[in-house]
Amino acid sequence: MNFQSPQSQVVLSGHGLVKHYGSVVGLAGVDVAVRSGEALAVMGPSGNGKTTLLHVLAGILTPDQGEVWLGSERVDQLNDAARTVLRRRRLGFVFQDNQLLAELPADENVALPLMVDGLSRREAIGRARATLAQVGLAAEVGRRPGELSGGQAQRVAIARALVGEPQVVFADEPTGALDAATGSQVIDLLVGAATYRGAAVVVVTHDNAVAARCHRALHIVDGRVSDAMGAVR
Amino acid sequence: MNPMTELGLRFVRRPGPGGRAANLAAFGATAVVALLVTFLIAGSLGLSQRSERIGWRSADKADPATAIGSLNLDDDQRVDGHRLSVLDLAVLRPNEVAPPPGFDHTPKPGEVFVSPEVAKRWSSLSKQYGHDGMDKPTGVISDKGLSSPEEFIIIRGVQTITADQHPQYVSSWNENVWDSRMLGLLIAVAFGIILVLFPILSLVGQAAGVAAKRREHRLAALRLAGATRTQVLWLSAVEQAVLAAAGAVVGLVGYTVLSPLIAQIPLGGGRWYVGDITVQWWTVLVVLVAVPVLSVISALIGLGRVSITPLGVVRGQTRKGLSVLRIGLLVIGPVMLAYYGMRGAVLPLLIAVGFAALAVRVVGPWAVQLVGKAMAKAANGPVTLLAGRRLVDDPKAAFRPVAALVLSGFVTGFISVFMPSGEDDPTFNDMRIGVALLLSLVFLTVAASTAAGAVGTALDQAAPARALRRSGVPLSVIERAARVAAVVPVVAVGLPVVGFGALCGLALSGGKIATEGSSGVLLLLGQVVAGLALVTVAGAAGAPVLRKASAN
Repeated sequence: MNFQSPQSQVVLSGHGLVKHYGSVVGLAGVDVAVRSGEALAVMGPSGNGKTTLLHVLAGILTPDQGEVWLGSERVDQLNDAARTVLRRRRLGFVFQDNQLLAELPADENVALPLMVDGLSRREAIGRARATLAQVGLAAEVGRRPGELSGGQAQRVAIARALVGEPQVVFADEPTGALDAATGSQVIDLLVGAATYRGAAVVVVTHDNAVAARCHRALHIVDGRVSDAMGAVR
Repeated sequence: MNPMTELGLRFVRRPGPGGRAANLAAFGATAVVALLVTFLIAGSLGLSQRSERIGWRSADKADPATAIGSLNLDDDQRVDGHRLSVLDLAVLRPNEVAPPPGFDHTPKPGEVFVSPEVAKRWSSLSKQYGHDGMDKPTGVISDKGLSSPEEFIIIRGVQTITADQHPQYVSSWNENVWDSRMLGLLIAVAFGIILVLFPILSLVGQAAGVAAKRREHRLAALRLAGATRTQVLWLSAVEQAVLAAAGAVVGLVGYTVLSPLIAQIPLGGGRWYVGDITVQWWTVLVVLVAVPVLSVISALIGLGRVSITPLGVVRGQTRKGLSVLRIGLLVIGPVMLAYYGMRGAVLPLLIAVGFAALAVRVVGPWAVQLVGKAMAKAANGPVTLLAGRRLVDDPKAAFRPVAALVLSGFVTGFISVFMPSGEDDPTFNDMRIGVALLLSLVFLTVAASTAAGAVGTALDQAAPARALRRSGVPLSVIERAARVAAVVPVVAVGLPVVGFGALCGLALSGGKIATEGSSGVLLLLGQVVAGLALVTVAGAAGAPVLRKASAN
C-alpha cells in the first residue's frame, strides 16, 4: 500500500533538536516536521538517534537544545505532569513488543488510557471495543495478550494508541517482533487507520518495507538528518 | 567448571538491570531467615543448658535407698520484685559424691550457699531467713549452678528432710530431669516454632522468588536457545545457593553480634548467660546447610513454570485458576485442636496448629483470586481495575509477599485467646515475654518478606509500567494500583485469618477465652496497626524500585 503525501497543516515539529547522554551525542541538531495525516519513517543505523528523536518529539525526553511543537503548543517547555497529560490525550504509542498488560483482556487494555482520563468504565470499554472492531478484533475483546498471536497483540496495541483520537501516533519498531507478512498487515493497518483519522504517524524502523509504506523517510546518522540518504518520497 | 555453574556464578557477579536490587532483597531476606533459625535453635539449646544446671532441683523420682540427697524447695518467696527460691538440701552420702554444680564443696548441715544476687543483699536477707548470726553466707554459687545471672536462690545444708516436708530425692546432680519451668517454656517454644514456621518458610520462598522472578525471562530465553531443563535448574540452583549461603553467613554473624542483647531478654526467670545461647559449631553447620538448601528448593519450585514451558513465561500465558477445594483444608486444624483439647499430648496439638497454619497458606491465594475478581468486576477506575486484574492473574504471586503478614494474623488471633492477665506469677510473666518475643519474630519475618516482595513485584512490573508511563499514564496511577494490590490481600484475607486463628485457639481451649482484661483486644489492635504500617513501609521500599525500573 502506498499513500499520497498530504498537503495539510504541520501538526508536529522539532527545530534544532540536540540531546546528549553524558558525552554521548543522541541528537546533534535535528529539524523535522510532520503534517496531519502524514506517515514519516525514521530510519538509520542502530544507536544513531532514531529512538531518541521519537522520545524527544513525543515529550518522553526533553531536548538539551531546540524546540518541539505540537500544533501551537510548545512541548519541551512543559513540566513532566503536563507532558504526561499531553501524551495521554493527544498522542498514541505502539511499541515493538506491544507492551500490553498481561493481566488485562484486550478491551480493558485499550480502555485503560480512557479510564485514566476519567471516562466511566462502561463508556471506555464501549469505545475500546469499537476501536478493536475497526482493527479486526471484534471477536477477541475478552482475550488476554498471552492468548493472542503476535500480530493480534500488536493490533490491540494499535487500537490502544488510536482509541483516544490522537493527533500523532508514535511507533517504535512496531513490526520488529513479527514475520514479514504479519508485519506488512500491521503497518498497513497502523498507517491506514491513523491517517484515515487525520493523525500523523512517526515510525522508527530498520525495515525498508515499513518505510515504503510511509509517505516519506528521514534518515538519522550520528544524531543528524542524513542528506545523502534522506530521500523524500 | 561446568559451564552452567560458571554462568550461574557470573549472573551473581553481574546480575544485569534490576538484578542487583533483586539479589540484595533475596540476600537480605535470607540473612533474616538465618538469623531467626539460629535464634530458634540456639534459644532452645539455651533452655536445655539452663535446665541441665538446675534440673536436679526438680528431681523427685529417685529411689530413697540409692539417692544421693533429698531436698525441699520453696519458691514462693519474693525479694525486690524478684522471685526467691529457698532450697533445703540434705546430702545423704557426703563422702561419696562430688559437690553439686556451682558449689566449691558439698553443703554440710548448717551451711548456706547463695546466688550472687542474694549475696549482695545478705545483710537484710540473712535476718529474714533466720541466719542473722552469719556475717556472710558459706559460699556463693557460681554460674555453673544457676539458671540465670539474676537468679535469687538460697541453698541451705540440713541434716534431713522430714517426711512432712515432702522430700524430693536426687539420684545425681547431673540428672537428665527438666526443670518444670524450663519444660513449660520448651513446650511454649515448640508451639512458637510451629507458629513462626510458615511465616519463615514464606520468607524463604519470597527471598528465593524475588531473585527467581528476575531470572524467569533470562532462563526462558536460555531454554528457548536450547538449554535443557536440568541445565536451567542447575544454573538457578547455583545462583540461589551462592546468595543464600552469603545470607546465611551474615545471619549467623548478625546473631552472634546480637547475642549479648538477646541474653538480656528476661525469659524463664531472668537474663541469660551469653554462653547458654552462643551458637555451637553444629548449629552453624545446620544453618549454613539448611538455609541455602531450603532456599534453592524454593527457587526451583518457583521456576518450574519456566523450565517446563518457557514460552508461557515469554508470552505471559494465563495461569490456571485455583480450586475451591482448598477451603476444605481449613477444617482439619480446628477439628484436631477441638478433638485433642488442652489436655491432649503436645505432638498432635503441634501438628494440628501446623495444619491450621498450612491451611491459611494454601487457602490464601484462592481467597486473593476471589477478591481480585470482585474488584475487577466492580472497578470504575483504572487503579481498582489494574489492582483487581493483577490479583486475579497471579494470586499466588500476589499472596506471597503478604503471606507472612497474613500468617502473623493467624498467630495473633490464636494467642489472643490465651493472653495472660496482669497477675504476678512467673508463668504469666514468661507467657507475656514469650508472646512479645514470638510476635517480634513474626513481625521481623513479615517486614523482611513484605519488603522483599514489594521489590520483586516492582521489578516484575517494570516493563509494562514503563510502557504505560510513556503512553501518558501517570506514575501515581501505577503506584496506587501496586499499593492497592498489596494492601487488599492483607485486609481482605488477613482480617478473616485473625478470626480463624482465634477460632483455632477457642477450639483448643474448648471454647473458653482464657484472656483476662484488655490484653487480647490490645494485641489484635496492635496486629492490625502493625500490619498496615508494614505494608505501607514495604510499599515505600518497592516504590523507588518501580520508579527507577519504569523510568524512561
